[in-house]
Amino acid sequence: MFEPLQEPFMQRAIAEMTLLAIAGGALGCWVVLYEVSYAAESLAHSIFPGLVLAAIAGIPLLLGATPAIVLAALAIALAARLPGVSRDVGVAVVVTTMFGLGVLLALSPQSPPGIETLLFGDILGPSDGDLISAAALVVLLGVALFLLHGRLLATGFDRGGARALGLSPAFADAALLILLAAGIVVAVQGLGNLLVVAVFVGPAAAARNLTDRIGPMIAVAVAIAVLSGLAGLYLSYYVGTAGGASVALAIVVAYLLSLPLGLIRPNRGRLNLAAGYDH
Amino acid sequence: MQRGLLEVLILAVPAGLLGTWIVLRGLAFFSHAVGTAAFPGLVLADGLGFAAPLGAFAAAILFTAGNAALGRGREEGRDSVVALVLVGCLAAGVILASDVFGSGANVETLLFGSLLLIDGSDIVLAAIAAVATLVASGLVGGRWLAHGFDPGAGQVSRWERRLLDALLLGLIALATTATLSVVGALLVSSLFVVPAATVRLFAKRMASWQLASVLLVAAEGTVGLWLSVKTDAPPGATIACVAGAIFALAALARALSRVPRGAVAVAAAAVVLALLAAGCGSSGSGSDGKLDVVATTTQIGDWVREVGGGAVSVDQVLQPNTDPHEYEPRPSDVEAAASAKLVFANGDNLDSWIGQIVSDGGSDAEIVDLGAAVPERLPGESSGAEASKHDPHWWHDPRNAEAAVREIARKLAAADPSKKRLFERNGAAYLAKLRTLDAGIAGCIDTIPVSQRKLVTDHDAFGYFANRYGIDVIGAVIPSQTTQAQPSAKDVSELIGLIEREGVKAVFPESSLSAKVADAIARQTGASADYTLYGDTLGPADSDGATYLGMEAANADAMVRGFSDGRHGCHLKP
Repeated sequence: MFEPLQEPFMQRAIAEMTLLAIAGGALGCWVVLYEVSYAAESLAHSIFPGLVLAAIAGIPLLLGATPAIVLAALAIALAARLPGVSRDVGVAVVVTTMFGLGVLLALSPQSPPGIETLLFGDILGPSDGDLISAAALVVLLGVALFLLHGRLLATGFDRGGARALGLSPAFADAALLILLAAGIVVAVQGLGNLLVVAVFVGPAAAARNLTDRIGPMIAVAVAIAVLSGLAGLYLSYYVGTAGGASVALAIVVAYLLSLPLGLIRPNRGRLNLAAGYDH
Repeated sequence: MQRGLLEVLILAVPAGLLGTWIVLRGLAFFSHAVGTAAFPGLVLADGLGFAAPLGAFAAAILFTAGNAALGRGREEGRDSVVALVLVGCLAAGVILASDVFGSGANVETLLFGSLLLIDGSDIVLAAIAAVATLVASGLVGGRWLAHGFDPGAGQVSRWERRLLDALLLGLIALATTATLSVVGALLVSSLFVVPAATVRLFAKRMASWQLASVLLVAAEGTVGLWLSVKTDAPPGATIACVAGAIFALAALARALSRVPRGAVAVAAAAVVLALLAAGCGSSGSGSDGKLDVVATTTQIGDWVREVGGGAVSVDQVLQPNTDPHEYEPRPSDVEAAASAKLVFANGDNLDSWIGQIVSDGGSDAEIVDLGAAVPERLPGESSGAEASKHDPHWWHDPRNAEAAVREIARKLAAADPSKKRLFERNGAAYLAKLRTLDAGIAGCIDTIPVSQRKLVTDHDAFGYFANRYGIDVIGAVIPSQTTQAQPSAKDVSELIGLIEREGVKAVFPESSLSAKVADAIARQTGASADYTLYGDTLGPADSDGATYLGMEAANADAMVRGFSDGRHGCHLKP
């Protein structure tokens, strides 16, 4: 039971997983409520041109990746304001274009080799930098989500009403996408893209089946994320299944378990407009 | 190239038609995910040895069914269901690839795709998707439309509506699968979503929207393909950039002005026509009396240049440090193959795509499988249909390199008898260098006691090197010959135990792979992870591993340093 905890590499993996589970569980609630799962899944690919340019210019890769993904987030928010273009269509347009651009830029002879592997981490080998940036992400998201809570809530549940209160829905959209971008740029190097989608969507979607209120939903999502992270790493340790994929499967199982629990819950009703103004 | 164009033009029909439904019904994420979710199907098809598109389509249908089951009866939160089913599919695929089959060599080619590698069956699949979409649109397009604008419209029963939805999702799954081999899962949206969204900015009626979308996909595909030939870039990425740029221009036009839509259409048509007209300029290819030869891998390219000298013009398909498993051919490769007399390949499934490049270029070049000509063979580890009987990394044994160089000299001489003396002279000079290298490495390794020659690396590429010089490979961080697999915590823990028991002093990450897990192991065991090895390819031009001789000397130096705890190296002049 405690054997994995005695291995240093497992301690680090568990630490990284737990930090990013806290970040993913909390931010994931807004991802789920704003229905931006597609952005959570695909934004990581828009980093690619930034990585290549940073490598060619010889600056730290994070300095290339961050502007690229923030640019993508803003472009998605902007595209979604066009008539007939939904946010998901915006994601498709922006991400495929930027990924294609990255592939073309990577053909340049100055581009260092194997750069696409920099995009993908592995949960079993977090570096010191990964751990520090994950801790910084938890702090950043904690502060930002606390400050933006009212705005995100008001816009998320009633766009028209928010506008009447003088809050711009576009601001809330852009703020959420930029926070998501920050989360992804940090998490993707520690977890790999597959796990990022799982952590930023799964626990929150499960929590949504279990509670009607945003506060408890965030708490439940964080708990589910942390526990399934541990469960996945233990599974990988004892059964010997691939590390990242095991955590992803544990999260999917947690979601499946939440479905019947959500059905037997009395006063079943998904988190919605009325329940949103609960505090 | 004509086949690629034909494929794009056929695919324009389902992509344009379905694209309008995807945009209208908010299915952009679904259409992207259904292609990516094909991954476990591809792994299964590769492992059990049946046709890849079949596996992809089966996985796509399962994905669609999973979405229908979990997302039933809810309008909100459908996107998180799509994401979760996708995560489930991908995780299953990774576990299948890592823990069940230990193989995924053909998987990447479909996740990335290539317009240049399509064959007759791809075109048939695209045609089936086109016909099915046309028929379905004609029969039930009106119903989809009514439902799209008013999901609660009372005239249809719930079952009928569910059937209509299932039909639409099934068609998207079929068409996406047909597109995978063309642009790859990551760029499917550039054909299915972006053009339809572009037209949406201007179109008012469904019929004109659909017609214009089909035409726009065809135009963007044609222009992208032509640009990729002109600039020698991968076609999929080029099409994605063209589509994105046209969307941006259209959005700008829509946002900035209230110009009549007719004027915009005329301007757009003019731009497309101008691009097409520019493309009709001929693309000349010069011949300078040299023997045209294609080499697939970096090390084979190096040998052919050494033996051929100035008499041979070598087109080397793989570039330094590209993973041969994740390779997408460029137009120049097909052109080079078309004019080549000889094609030198590694064999053992490492570069099996070369056969199609050659047949696609309409070339009758002879493909020389050098792997079949070398004396030292080790068994391959991968399972699966044709997954190599032998370990494909045979070049790491210089004795194999000698046999390969001899074969290259023989084949070059047969192709151009007038230069036979030159090839023999160059070959003999290079063989002498190879023997010096071999003896030098053997001498260096001999300075290390046998009990300390313990190799731990992150990719099983060094079996031949270890076999030649009496090195004991005690473990690999990713225990498989492909880069696709992921290690488990159990593997890592057992490897750490082994390293501690055996007193291993260094682990060796491979230069073209991410070294994170190797670093983690080094951190825990106190072994060094500072020495990297050249595994699948040579290094870039200015590195120690830029030539085959340099690569093997650098690997020997790194190993001797690692085994001796950094006390001494192996200084061989390549």
